[in-house]
Amino acid sequence: MAQTTIKPVKSLAAPTNWKTWLGVVPFFLFAILFLFLPSLRLFTASFSSPDGSFTLDNIIQLVSEPFIVNAYKLSIQISAVTALGGGILGFLMAYSVTVGGLPKPLRSALITFSGVASNFAGVPLAFAFVATLGRQGFITHVLRDYLGINLYDAGFNLYSFAGLSLVYMYFQFPLMVLIMAPALDGLKNEWREAAENLGASTTQYWLKVALPVLLPSILGAMILLFGNAFGAYATAYALTGGRIGIVTIQIGAQIRGDVLYNPGLGYAMAIGMVFIMAISLAGYSWLQAKTERWLK
Amino acid sequence: MSYLSLSNITKQFGDTVVVDNFNLDIAKGEFVSFLGPSGCGKTTTLRMVAGFEIPTSGRITLDGADITEKAPNQRNVGMIFQSYALFPNMTVAQNIGFGLSVRKESKEMIKQRVDEMIALINLEKHANKYPYQLSGGQQQRVSLARALAIQPQVLLLDEPLSALDAKIRVSLRAEIRAIQKKLGITAIFVTHDQEEALSISDRIVVMNTGLMEQVGTPFEIYNFPQTQFVANFVGSLNTANAEVSEPANGLVNVDGVQLITASDIKSRKKGDAIRVSIRPERFSFADNQKKDNVLDCTVENITFLGAVVRIQVKIGNAKFNMDTFNNPFLELPKIGSKQQVTCSKEAVLVLDE
Amino acid sequence: MSFLSRLRRFPFWSWVWFIVGALYFILPLLATFEFSLTWDPAIPFKAYQRSFEDKDFWETFIYSNVLALATILFSILLIVPTAYWIRLRLPEARRIVEFITLMPFVVPAIILVFGMIRIYSAPFNVPFTDIQIMQPLTNFKAGTNVLIISGYMVLAMPYMYRSVDTGMRTVDIRTLTEAAQSLGANWFVIISRIILPNIRSALLSGALLTFAIVVGEVTLASFLGVDAFGPYLFLLGQHRAYEPAALSFVSFLLTWLAMGLIQLVSGGQGQAAGAH
Repeated sequence: MAQTTIKPVKSLAAPTNWKTWLGVVPFFLFAILFLFLPSLRLFTASFSSPDGSFTLDNIIQLVSEPFIVNAYKLSIQISAVTALGGGILGFLMAYSVTVGGLPKPLRSALITFSGVASNFAGVPLAFAFVATLGRQGFITHVLRDYLGINLYDAGFNLYSFAGLSLVYMYFQFPLMVLIMAPALDGLKNEWREAAENLGASTTQYWLKVALPVLLPSILGAMILLFGNAFGAYATAYALTGGRIGIVTIQIGAQIRGDVLYNPGLGYAMAIGMVFIMAISLAGYSWLQAKTERWLK
Repeated sequence: MSYLSLSNITKQFGDTVVVDNFNLDIAKGEFVSFLGPSGCGKTTTLRMVAGFEIPTSGRITLDGADITEKAPNQRNVGMIFQSYALFPNMTVAQNIGFGLSVRKESKEMIKQRVDEMIALINLEKHANKYPYQLSGGQQQRVSLARALAIQPQVLLLDEPLSALDAKIRVSLRAEIRAIQKKLGITAIFVTHDQEEALSISDRIVVMNTGLMEQVGTPFEIYNFPQTQFVANFVGSLNTANAEVSEPANGLVNVDGVQLITASDIKSRKKGDAIRVSIRPERFSFADNQKKDNVLDCTVENITFLGAVVRIQVKIGNAKFNMDTFNNPFLELPKIGSKQQVTCSKEAVLVLDE
Repeated sequence: MSFLSRLRRFPFWSWVWFIVGALYFILPLLATFEFSLTWDPAIPFKAYQRSFEDKDFWETFIYSNVLALATILFSILLIVPTAYWIRLRLPEARRIVEFITLMPFVVPAIILVFGMIRIYSAPFNVPFTDIQIMQPLTNFKAGTNVLIISGYMVLAMPYMYRSVDTGMRTVDIRTLTEAAQSLGANWFVIISRIILPNIRSALLSGALLTFAIVVGEVTLASFLGVDAFGPYLFLLGQHRAYEPAALSFVSFLLTWLAMGLIQLVSGGQGQAAGAH
């Protein structure tokens, strides 16, 4: 009874009513039309066979068909390797221009360069690496002519896992630079000085203070890098023309249907990708909650 | 016998001289404040003692050993920062134990020492909290405990109270001083707040634009400022241009009004331009006591400051502030009324240029 | 200061990492440039000449730029009012909207484009009837333009929303709004003359990244059958060797120059992250 009498007063005091929500309707409408409906449609489409009837075959194939399982494995491997490699190199570069003591102009040069390079993908990137590390590439020649190292005789191939990883790294580590630079700026100079003052060496400062403080950002950035490589399509396709069967290329092949045509399977594989990304994001937020317990 | 000694310290950043020929000997267990406005070089001097800056020239010795170019992590001096600088990823106990753990002390030893320190700063209930869960005053106490845990030879405090509320500033100030006395530790305290420096220090070094202006006990600095800068910076002060009229008798002329001073002006000539200063609290309204200077004045303004009331008076053409203690039965003069004020000849200080 | 203490301050490892990274950045560009010059030793810039003579290059390149500008414009129109409204009146919606803006990280472009094709290749009917209101969006030019711009808006959403939201946080738009209101400004004046100018640099950085994402984009454009610069370069790359190298080099340089210029203009505020 007491509650019913209080209610009208309450709604007066808190003016957030349904009208306030009208302000975000355009955004939600957009998200539904161009983000949720398409994703949902793929989800339902993954349960249909080529002739349109309901089937669970596609989902079953996801875990039973060796070429699909391998495609996932390959995608996960390449994403993990380039997230780690790009993450480490990107972190070190971001370190060098922020707290590392390099001159200020280098920082803005690196940041703008990274902004471009992190989006330098697809054909131009593939071309750049063919010109660099292909059989007739610049570095291949330099190494052969001046140092007597023949990359391709030594087993290197640009159109392989290792080659593709090197290419991916080109857009991976700039992304890491862009994410880590502000995080590294957040390291207070006083922390380093306090640690030094208390007798810690530089290594001890990094291991006990700086890295633990940065860990959530580093993990978050690595997950982003992972997703960045996992969803990439154009670069791998432009470089290898589909010879390296990562998931995105297999999906394209299933849906565009040059040889293999089974859109339903392609959609199921796409949903599988979303699933894996969702898991890695969930893992990230769990890790973040664990490592960030000292944050507000 | 000096324990920490800074001799002929000069520090330049590029062409800018930040600290210029600084000399100071500090005895063991002494509490010394560096007082001055921002940019006066006080923090840079402190950071040279900590090892974060290396002097362009000059020597720093601690307990007989030259530490001028020793790395900060080899020095064994504790430092407290204005922004606390607690490690956000560690609890109170872990923060305090940090210095010992990087020294690879045993677990039992660290625990015992940390407990001791936590008891010292009365934060027993908060040992396992993270810095963000503490108030500013609590954080700065932890930072004090962290610096003391390594049993430093010198404790350096870089404006440790500036980020805190007025009330906490005063109580923590007393706490710092009490702990410093109890442990008998040598301390350097950097501040721009004169009241803080006056209340906490054994000795004060007043600095301005990289130079030492005056070194002395709080009593000396306040009562006998030697330069105009010190006189102005420490306490509030009336200064006025004056002319020497009778050097032998200590008579000076301020804007047509004759004053007698106890300061020695025998070396000056009649007609020399000088500056004199009188602290506001050294004035009082004419009473029955015989005073050296009795001056006619007009009351211009009255400002209520709490414990004191500040009255602006015009003597001749010069304006002076006088402070009088507040009490409920105080009868204040009317603005615009003619009065007489007095001050002793010791109150009239002649300043070095 | 002694030699030893100078040495202690020299950031040796910083230089090492920076130079290693810089080489990784620059060598492929250099190699591309070098390769583009080797077509005909007599005419070093032959590849560039040929590329610029191609009518298709100009058409696709301009088209992609127009798409990028349209994406930026519509993104701003959608995201600025949303972010503003949430900061001002609807903080309850913050978590859900932030979650949605992060979704494009989870849903790769290739998935988005197939989903959009599946949905919008069907005609629009009056509900529960066969009466057609509009033919499928994928069937006519304006329709595909709507689709591709919407798709790009989705891809750019994480970056755009974050830049705008960060910009609004740093200038404290709530206080600004209240100050403007107390001085008698209406909503239009508040948004156009107070809010937008104050988040200028945030908008710039969001716009730039959107630009970088859109101009060379291949996946959406090729599956939607749009004649944009990305697919053009892709096709060219399958038949030619030197022109794509020349164009790759030029497009990288142009984007970098634009970014550098804008960073100069905005006083070094612009920065955020990139996408694929």
